[in-house]
Parts: sequence; structure tokens; C-alpha cells
Amino acid sequence: MQWVQIAITIVFWVAVATLAVGLIRRIRLWRNGRDAPVDWGGLLAIPRRYLVDIHHVVARDSYIANTHMAVAGGALAALALVAINYGLALYQPWLDWLTLAAAAVMLVGSYFIWARRRNPPARLSKGPWSRLPFTLAGFAAGVIGLMLVTLVPPSATTTMLALPLLLLLIAGSAELALGIGAGGPMKHAVAGLLHLGFHPRKQRFTGRSVDLRPLDLDAGDFGVGKPADFRWNQLLSFDACVQCGKCEAACPAFAAGQPLNPKKLIQDLVVGLASGSDAKFAGSPYPGIPIGEHAGAPDKAVVPFLIEPATLWSCTTCRACVEECPMLIEHVDAIIDLRRNLTLTTGELPGTASETLANLRETGTTGGHDVAARQHWAVDLDVKQAQPGTLVDVLLVVGEGAFDTRYQRTLRALVKSLKAAKIDFAVLGDSEFDTGDTARRLGDEATFQMLAQRNIANFARFQFRRIVTPDPHVLNSLKNDYPALGGHFAVLHHSTLLAQLAKSGQLQLGPTPDRRAVTYHDPCYLGRYNGEIDAPRDLLKAIGIEVREMERSGLRGRCCGGGGGAPLTDIPGRQRIPDIRIGDAKATGAAIVAVGCPQCTAMLEGVVGERPEVLDIAELVAQSLPVPA
Amino acid sequence: MASYPHLMAPITLNKLTLRNRVVSTAHAEVYAEPGGLPGDRYIRYYEEKAKGGVGLAICGGSSPVSIDSPQGWWKSVNLSNDRIIDPLARLSETMHRHGAKIMIQATHMGRRNAFHGENWPHLMTPSGIREPVHRGNAKIIEIEEIKRIIKDFGVAARRVKAAGMDGIEISAAHQHLIDQFWSPRSNFRTDEWGGSLENRMRFGREVLSEVREAVGPDFVVGLRMCGDEFHEDGLDHETLKEIAHAMGETRLVDYISVVGSGADTHNTLANCMPPMALPPEPFVHLAAGIKSVVDIPVMHAQSIRDAGQAERLLAAGMIDLVGMTRAQIADPYMVEKIRDGREDEIKQCVGANYCIDRQYNGLDVLCVQNAATSREATMPHIITKSTGPRRKVVVVGGGPGGLEAARVARSRGHDVVLFERGDAVGGQINLAAKAPQREQMAGIVRWFDMETRRLGVDRRMGREATPEMILGEQPDIVVLATGGSSNMGQVPGWGFEEGLSVSSWDILSGKAEPGKNVLVYDVMSAHTGSGTADFLATRGSTVEIVTPDVKVADDVGGTTFPIFYRRLYALDVVMTPNYWLDRVYREGNKLIAVIRNEYTEGLEERSVDQVVIENGILPNDGLYWDLKERSVNFGQTDNATLFAAEPQPALSEDLSGDKFLLYRVGDCISQHNIHGAIYDALRLCKDF
Ligand SMILES: Cc1cc2nc3c(=O)[nH]c(=O)nc-3n(C[C@H](O)[C@H](O)[C@H](O)COP(=O)(O)O)c2cc1C
Ligand code: SF4
Ligand code: SF4
Ligand code: SF4
Repeated sequence: MQWVQIAITIVFWVAVATLAVGLIRRIRLWRNGRDAPVDWGGLLAIPRRYLVDIHHVVARDSYIANTHMAVAGGALAALALVAINYGLALYQPWLDWLTLAAAAVMLVGSYFIWARRRNPPARLSKGPWSRLPFTLAGFAAGVIGLMLVTLVPPSATTTMLALPLLLLLIAGSAELALGIGAGGPMKHAVAGLLHLGFHPRKQRFTGRSVDLRPLDLDAGDFGVGKPADFRWNQLLSFDACVQCGKCEAACPAFAAGQPLNPKKLIQDLVVGLASGSDAKFAGSPYPGIPIGEHAGAPDKAVVPFLIEPATLWSCTTCRACVEECPMLIEHVDAIIDLRRNLTLTTGELPGTASETLANLRETGTTGGHDVAARQHWAVDLDVKQAQPGTLVDVLLVVGEGAFDTRYQRTLRALVKSLKAAKIDFAVLGDSEFDTGDTARRLGDEATFQMLAQRNIANFARFQFRRIVTPDPHVLNSLKNDYPALGGHFAVLHHSTLLAQLAKSGQLQLGPTPDRRAVTYHDPCYLGRYNGEIDAPRDLLKAIGIEVREMERSGLRGRCCGGGGGAPLTDIPGRQRIPDIRIGDAKATGAAIVAVGCPQCTAMLEGVVGERPEVLDIAELVAQSLPVPA
Repeated sequence: MASYPHLMAPITLNKLTLRNRVVSTAHAEVYAEPGGLPGDRYIRYYEEKAKGGVGLAICGGSSPVSIDSPQGWWKSVNLSNDRIIDPLARLSETMHRHGAKIMIQATHMGRRNAFHGENWPHLMTPSGIREPVHRGNAKIIEIEEIKRIIKDFGVAARRVKAAGMDGIEISAAHQHLIDQFWSPRSNFRTDEWGGSLENRMRFGREVLSEVREAVGPDFVVGLRMCGDEFHEDGLDHETLKEIAHAMGETRLVDYISVVGSGADTHNTLANCMPPMALPPEPFVHLAAGIKSVVDIPVMHAQSIRDAGQAERLLAAGMIDLVGMTRAQIADPYMVEKIRDGREDEIKQCVGANYCIDRQYNGLDVLCVQNAATSREATMPHIITKSTGPRRKVVVVGGGPGGLEAARVARSRGHDVVLFERGDAVGGQINLAAKAPQREQMAGIVRWFDMETRRLGVDRRMGREATPEMILGEQPDIVVLATGGSSNMGQVPGWGFEEGLSVSSWDILSGKAEPGKNVLVYDVMSAHTGSGTADFLATRGSTVEIVTPDVKVADDVGGTTFPIFYRRLYALDVVMTPNYWLDRVYREGNKLIAVIRNEYTEGLEERSVDQVVIENGILPNDGLYWDLKERSVNFGQTDNATLFAAEPQPALSEDLSGDKFLLYRVGDCISQHNIHGAIYDALRLCKDF
């Protein structure tokens, strides 16, 4: 039936044209963003990034991975075949057979999407996303039917069926082709692929990439005030969101009922880039903030018209959302960009955050202490102070925890182990200034850069091979954020060093005298930010502890609530994040939660009521040092 | 977690950095080996404080620098010859290993001493005036002797430095030779060593320059001095401020430690180690006054008992270093517990002064509530879990002995049931705390109460334990700590059965109403008798206290009896020592007490409304006899192993089924005291 074939060709080209028009409109919107280097080569990397990086994330949920593979794979194959066979008007029956097969796969996949969507988890958006299984199935069914119509000898039945099938095909194609231009769900396919090519952090495809972009303050770069202040490829990335809500399900602030939902945040930014209100958002709102009261446009201030400040200040910068996002969207970058503008242009921060920033500027400590008091904990331990001109192996940077009497126990324990391993180490006498990490996460780039310069200059006075720190925030700051400002150091977390020493035998450890069950809480800035999830576990194993893992652990561990200045901004919710985390720990039946971070120690120990004891890895290790004869 | 930023802040004296502001100030330990040498016991005693986190310990209270300042009778450290160097070096090394700093106090006691014993020296003092407390008859010191003693200070200081110690403290407090020169009470000289304040300060000044000369500029030299002698004819606060200023200006000393009160009478001496009757930190204002005139750090001890108080005084800038001396006798781990936010676990000194009262009798210093102090070689401050079988331990009686037994056994990891028939734990201490000014005895109970709860002892209160209840628990070990009851039946003539007399406990517990005109007969001469007299007089009774001993409260130590006397005299209590009570009989609505003079046998009668008798206790041993035959060990404690601090041999017996071991501690065997009961329990239960 030739007219059917011609009709398909027409539908195909109309769809392509629609798509092209839509794409151009969308590109215009993205182009509202600031310039960013265009990496055309990235486009070539799309298949690999899709098959490796995205698959790596999606494969955690094999049901949806397989389903998506079927639908997207089937659709792509079918489209490609249609493009060849009908776009070029070849009308080869054998290609029709292949097309039919591809569409059949797609149809099966659509069925499974539908099956999952019958009882959707709360994280999934409804609205247009709920119609998707039907439109996709329609498209597949249309293709299958039409292929059969062309393959079988024409008859009255085929003639009768051809028209409704064509209508199905048109409807399905509309979903695909109009998606991008009209902002429908299928927008994700095109935006997602382009996002893979032009990803703002292309380093993440070759390694870990968590450093924050330094602002050129002299050039007046104060972060993002309005959607158009984002770089264009960030805007593109927001469009890739599939509203799967994996980020929402991972977000500790959302779980605690604080007014933050990373999925909604990304969708709000989509609203901002395309102009409109959030009324059509069909997912979970920011807890406590009703939907329909906020709107945005590319040149309209994001805060407070589109997003409330409390939303931004709820984030712990834990990166759980980023870790989960199948579209590789960088929520934390967006949040920090927005915070930067708030802090640098208004200076209005909730809670004790402003006071903390003032402390940092004036004293070089977050708590407003005398810097010289930072090493008071070590006075009786015979710990060397670094001297200009004398080389030491390890420079021990102790962080803000050194002012806290509880955390000093950890530091003392660490010193015990370092001495037992005969490590040549020293602390900075009265010149250990805060790395500025908290300032940076709170958006105060000026204070961060000031402190970073000060520290880099100070470090230059001393000779050391490597820096060791028990504070993952210090670790992250020095290791990942300082290089862009000219500070290049070999930095290790104490657990990494101790694990190396234990492995090489330089640190002799006996079995732990404490036989209670232990679980381990991964600090976000150690695990997700720096990938160190093995050393603490190796150490615990070395002293005979078998870790009872919490459900959310390792790279997917749940935040304690202590990062990103969140304890300072202290946005109220239904619950406190550390309470949730202690709940996770309790569920394992462990009597001890091992930690590796001063912030985690403080947050988890702050939980009132019956709870497991919180001990740093260093404390557990020191307990297992052989008793000197 | 409460934080103590000032208390935990390091401080640098001269070149010496201390890890925190907590000091154990110099105290005579009475532990030195013959010859005045620190031995194992001495070093371990200090090591425990170092492990427990103390910043600076100043050991060797009143260690003499000269051979004519006797030390043998109170076993102090002797700095007068070179043999001291090695043992002191061992002490220094030990302390440094745990991050603590160690200094020693050096002195010449002058007239403040006992001349008899050892070399029988003739004591010396500026003007030959006798010291009453120590019955210190002394000669007038001659210039040659002054010069020699100044040299002795220098030589002793050199020894201290050679031993690797961190500094030396010169005592010019408690009326030692230097302040005997300062004080117009004891210095009437007309030569250049007396008269004007400048002249009276000469000796101290020369001692300091000699010491500084000996140790060089970088070694810590401290000065301990009085802030007010509290005597009309003595040094007052203003004069002492002048002296402090002058001493500071010499630039020879690195800190000044201030003590409130003179010490050369019984009554002033009692202030020095303020007993529980005095308010907290009674003399800190004197230290603050001295701080206002010097520019070097000021240290002060005297009833600074808890971290909050210490932090407040430091934060207020009144002082720079806090001595918490008895506080760390009671709990050498105090600092660590403060640091780690475990303040509730601190065994807080209650000011019972058992420690110092023993010292004044020349006995080794022990803490009333901590039996491990100074017995570190054998008795643990920190009880570790047993590696042996987990046992069921039943303790009967919640007085100090039973509480300690329960605490220790529980800390060893055993399941412990504690039966107490009263509604609260504490036993006899609860009665002792009823006497006026003795309320703080309750602090001893409070700690045990909290610890036994924290550790999870299964406490069954309010029911008297029967053998059936005890055996119903299927115990492996039963520890009886059932205490005793007033011993009123000893002399039938007292008429207790007939209701002619009541016991001291009847009065303190409120069982008997105070009479109008009361005779208190105190056979024991310890705290209870005088406390009862005070209790009655405070409630308006007219009281006479009669005792066969040579003086009222004769068995109450040197820093505590003055407190009783202050009160008893003020309340017009008549004190009648040297009389026995023979008989009480009724005549009309009066009671006639017949008392007999110990030395003349002469009889006297007193017509009173009430006769109250303190005659100690008889052990409550009913349960013991009920259980003895059924126990594997027939209730016997093996003394050879107990005294050697070793595990009881019977612990290795088979205790399966109904078999159990039976032990007793404290007053239910025979009357001891609080320390005795706690020691019994600790030494027995530490090996369970
Ligand atoms: C047993 C004992 C012995 C003492 N001996 C001395 C001494 O020899 N020299 C001295 O200067 N102070 C001595 N003192 C006083 C203490 O140094 C301290 O000033 C006193 O105990 C008050 O402080 P506290 O309330 O912290 O215990 C002694 C105290 C005690 C308890
Ligand atoms: S970084 Fe953590 S807290 Fe912030 S939005 Fe993502 S998941 Fe939520
Ligand atoms: S941001 Fe990522 S994880 Fe979150 S809903 Fe969108 S696609 Fe899913
Ligand atoms: S005996 Fe009394 S005064 Fe002395 S340390 Fe112990 S509790 Fe304190």
C-alpha cells in the first residue's frame, strides 16, 4: 500500500521539522545562559558516556534499567530504521521487518513502564509523565501495525486499519517530536543526550570531579541571581531531568522535612529558564511550601520569586542527589551558585551563619577562637610544631575539631597511633587557619579565597611531604578546591594513612578489646566527595571488626546533616537529619557507630536519648594498639 | 557537653607549658620510704593523677632542705641530701610520660615541727617562740644558721633540677621558717632580719635569690604564701599584698600560690584544708587581692571542688591556676572526666578531711571515700571487666561497703543484685549527714548512688532481705554489708531497755525528740557524739557532753575537732571529759545520770531530761549466721590473700547449682569506719 508508505514518510519529515523547530527554540533558551566553553568533542563521547556513566547509575535499579533499554533502544532503532527506509523512501520490506522487531521491543518496554507506574513511588512525578507509557506504546503499536500493513498483501482490512494506525503513529510522534519544543517529558531524550556531550563537568567522566569553580570576584562574578546567570550548559542540564525523583529519595533535608527537594529545585530552574510558574509541577513539593505560588523568567531573580532562601540553606551539600541522578545533573553546583549570589550581594544568611563568616574573617576559625589555641589539645602529647626549614614527613592539619573537647579525644587517639607507627609528623603552631570550606559552601567566596591564599602562603613556609587530616572537609578543601587557587598538596585522610600503615605492618594492631557490634557512617566529604570508602573499613577489619553496614552506606551513604554549613543555617524541618541517621545505625543493632569526621561526631553525638556510642576510627584503632610492656 | 575553656587552656610558667589549669598543690603524703625517698607507692600515687589528666602536680608537701628540719615522723620527702635525686628522677620521668608536669615543694619548717625523734635537733625560729600546734619548742636562730639554711635551699634546688623536675615551689605558707620571719607573731628580732617589713622579708628574699642562682633563669620557681593569717598580731591581707608585690618585683619567682589562713593554732589550721563546714572557695578573695598587686600568675587551692566552680573563678580572672588537691585525692581521674564530659562520674571530695586528719597524726594519707588512692599498686581506680566466668552476685546492705561491693562487682561485668531495707542507699552515712555542718557527708552517698544506677546494678530497695530472698536469686557470691546497730545494751545501768536513755542514732534519725536539758555521753569520741551534741544544742537543748576520753572529740582529727569546738562553745555546750557514765535512774520527772571521774573515782550526779548515749555499734550479723553453714566457704574470708590483694582462693571452687560463697565487709564484722568498709569491699570484690 504505497500511500501508507508515503504517509509514513510525510509524518517522519513533519516530525523531524517539528523537532528541529522545537530544538531551535530550546537552544535559544539555553543560550540565554552565560558562555561556557563548547566542547564539540564531547558529542563524540555521548555513546560511551551513555553506555558507561549513565548505565552505571541506572543499573542500580535493574528493572528500570532494562525497561529503559527496551523502550529507548527499541525507539532509537525503530526511528533510525524509519529514517532510512521511509525518510529516504527506500521502502525495503526487510527493513520493515527489522523496524517491526524494534518497535515490538519498545512496546514490551512500554508495558513494563506502565506496570511500574500503576503503583508509583512518591518520588516519581505524575502529570504528563503518567501518559508517557501510553503515548510510547501507541507509537510502537502504530509502527508495528503499519509495518504489518505494508508487509501483508493489501486488503479491505488493511485499508481499514491503516488510517487509525497512522493516527496512532502521529500521536506517538507528537510526543517525541513536540517534547523538546513544548517542554514535554520526551524533552529529556534530546536534552539528555546533548547534556552528556556538553556536560559542565566533563572531568567526571574520567575521574571524580567535585571542586567548585572559583569566582572571579574582581570581574564582578557573584554567582547566579537569575536563571540567565547560569552557564548555558547548566541550563541545558536542567532540561535533561526526567523527574525520576531519585535525588528526592536520597536527599536528607527532604527526608527531614526541611523545605528542600532537589528534583523540584531542578524543575524550578527549568521553569525559570523557560518562563512560567511552578503550578504544573506534578511531584512532591518542597516540604512546607505550597505549589503554585512561585514563578520565574530568565531575567527575574530566582530568590525569592522562584525559590525561597530556606530551600537553598537547607542543603547539606552532601551530593547524595548528584550521586543518584541518572541524568548526571549537578544539583550542588546550582545550589552553591545561587547561595553565592545571596551571600555576596545581600549578606543575609540565617541562623549563626553570618556570625560564623565574621569569625572566619576575623579569627581564621569558625568558632571565633584564638588560632593559637588550636593546638592546645596537643600540649601534653609531645607533638612537634612545624618549623620553617625543617622537613617533616606529615603535616597534621587538625581542623576546627581541635577546639572541641570531645573531638580532642579523637586527635589524641590519632597521635597515639602515629607515634606507634613512628611517623615523623608535626602540627602547625599558631598558624593553622581554617581552610575556608564552610565559607565557600555558604557562598562566601571572598572569605574562602582570602583564607585559601593565607593558608597557601603559610604552607609555603614549611617543608613537608604530605598533609594528613582527620577532617574530610579540610581534606576536600585542600585536595580539590585549593589547586585552582594555586595550592597543590598531597592530602590524605587519617583513615587512609592508618590503613596504609596497618597494611604495610608499620602500624601493629591487635584485635579490638571492645567486642560490641560496629556500624560505619561514611562522611559525605570522605566517601562521595573523595571516594574513600575502603580505608576505614579495611582498618576496622584489621582490628577484627566486621562492620554491620547500614542500608545507605559507602558512596550512597546518608548524610549526618553536618555539611555545607547546614548546622549553622539551621533551617527547621519535621525532624533532625542526625536523628534519622542514628535511626539507620540503630537498625543494624550496632552498639558503636564508627565515624571519620569531626562534624559527623558532633552531629551524631548530639542526638539525645538511647543511641549507639559514636567513636572515630582513630579512637577504635588506638584502642587496639598493643599495650607497651 | 559543658565546656571549660579557661580550665582546659594551657598556661606557660617561665618556659614550662602546662596542659591545663588544674594543679594538685603540695601536700604531705606521708608515703615516703625511710630516709625520705619516693618509692613505688609514692610514684604510682602521682602517676595516677598524671594519667587522670592533671596539668601540674606539686609533690612533696613541706619537703625539708636541711637536716635540722625533721621529716621522719610524717614520712615526707627529704631534699637535704643527694640520695633524693634518683628516685625523684623516676617520678619526673613517670609524670612526663603521661603529659603532666611535676614540681616539688621545698621548705624549712623552723619551729613548726616535733623535735623528738631521729636526730633530736633543736628547732629554730626567728625569736624562739614556741609553736603550739606541734608543741614546737625552738631556739633563736643565729645568723650562721640563717646563712647555712639559705645555702641549703640552693643546694636542694639543684637536686630538684638534676632530677629532671619541672620546678620548685618555696613554701612561705602555713608558718614555715620564711613566714616565721615575715610574721610579727614570731619575729621580734632587732637585727637586720627583724623589725621593719623590709628586714623581715630579707630571709625569704635571700632564699629566692639563692634558689634562682642555683637553677638558672629558665627553671620554674614558685612561692607559696599566706593571704591573711587571721590573727590580731599576725600578718593581715594588706601586709601580705605588700609582701607579694615585693616578691613579684624580685623577678625571681614565676608564680605565687596563695593560701588563706595562718596555721599555727588548732583553730586557724582547720581553715587551711577547709572542712565541709566551710563554704566553697572561702578564701579565693585573698588570692584575687594578691593577684591585683602582682603581674605573675596566681594559683589558689582551698575547696575548689568542681569544674564549674573552677571555670568560673578562672573566667572571672580571680586566679590563673586552680589547685584542686583533695579533689584529686578523692578522684585522680577528675580532669579526664571533666575533659570528656563525664562530670557526673567524678567522685567529688566532700571535705571530710580524713586525708589531712591522718596526716596530722603522722599516718599515711587516705581518702575516706576512695580506697584505691595511694594503693595504686594493688587497688584499681578503674575497674576492668573480668575475663573469668560471669557471676551472680548478691550484695545485702546499701551502706558504703555494700555500695562499693555492688559497684565493683558490677564493673567487673557480673550481674549484681543489691538489697537495701531502707528506701534510699547510704546506710549510716545518711545519719552522719544529719548533724549540723556535716550535711556534705551525703555527697559520698550521692556518687555511689549515681554510679550503681549508671552501671546497672539491680537495686531492690525498701525490703529487708531474708535468706530465702537471697538464695532465691541463685547467687554465686553473697556479700553481706549489713552494718550494725547502736550498742546500747553494754552497760545495763544506762537503762536503755527501761527507756531511761536513747541512742545518738535515735536523736539524729528523729526517732527521739530532743529533750530540754540533755546529757550526751560519748564513749567513742568520734564525729557522731559531738555531732549529736551539736544537733541537740542547735535545736535549743541545753547540752553537756561527757566522755571518758581525755578531751571531747578526741578521736576526731586535727582539722575537724576545731569545727566542733567552734560550735559547741558558741552554743554553750558543757564539755566534761574524763568521766564515765555508770547509771541512769528516774527521780520524779527528771533523770539522774551518775558519772564517775576516771582519775578520782569521785561520783557526780546530773539531773536532766534526756540521756543520749553514743557507744558505737554492734554488728548486724543475723543473716550471716543463717547463711554461713550453707555456703561453700563457711563465710570465711581468707586473710592471707585479702591482705596481699590477691583473689580469694574460694573463687576457684565449683559454684554450680545452689552452691555459693559468702563474704562480709565493713561494720557487720566489727565496727570500722567509712574508709574501712569501702576498702573491705574493694579489695574483696576487685577479683570477682
Ligand atoms: C593531706 C594534706 C597535706 C597537706 N600538706 C601540705 C603541705 O605540706 N604543704 C602545703 O603547702 N600545703 C599542704 N596541704 C594543703 C594543700 O596544698 C591545699 O592547699 C589544701 O588541701 C586546700 O586545697 P583543696 O581544697 O583543693 O584540697 C595539705 C593538704 C592535705 C589534704
Ligand atoms: S546535596 Fe544533599 S542535601 Fe543538598 S539537595 Fe542534594 S541530597 Fe539534598
Ligand atoms: S535531577 Fe536527576 S535524579 Fe533528580 S529527578 Fe531529575 S533526573 Fe531524577
Ligand atoms: S578524705 Fe575527705 S577531704 Fe580528704 S580527699 Fe577524701 S573526701 Fe576529700
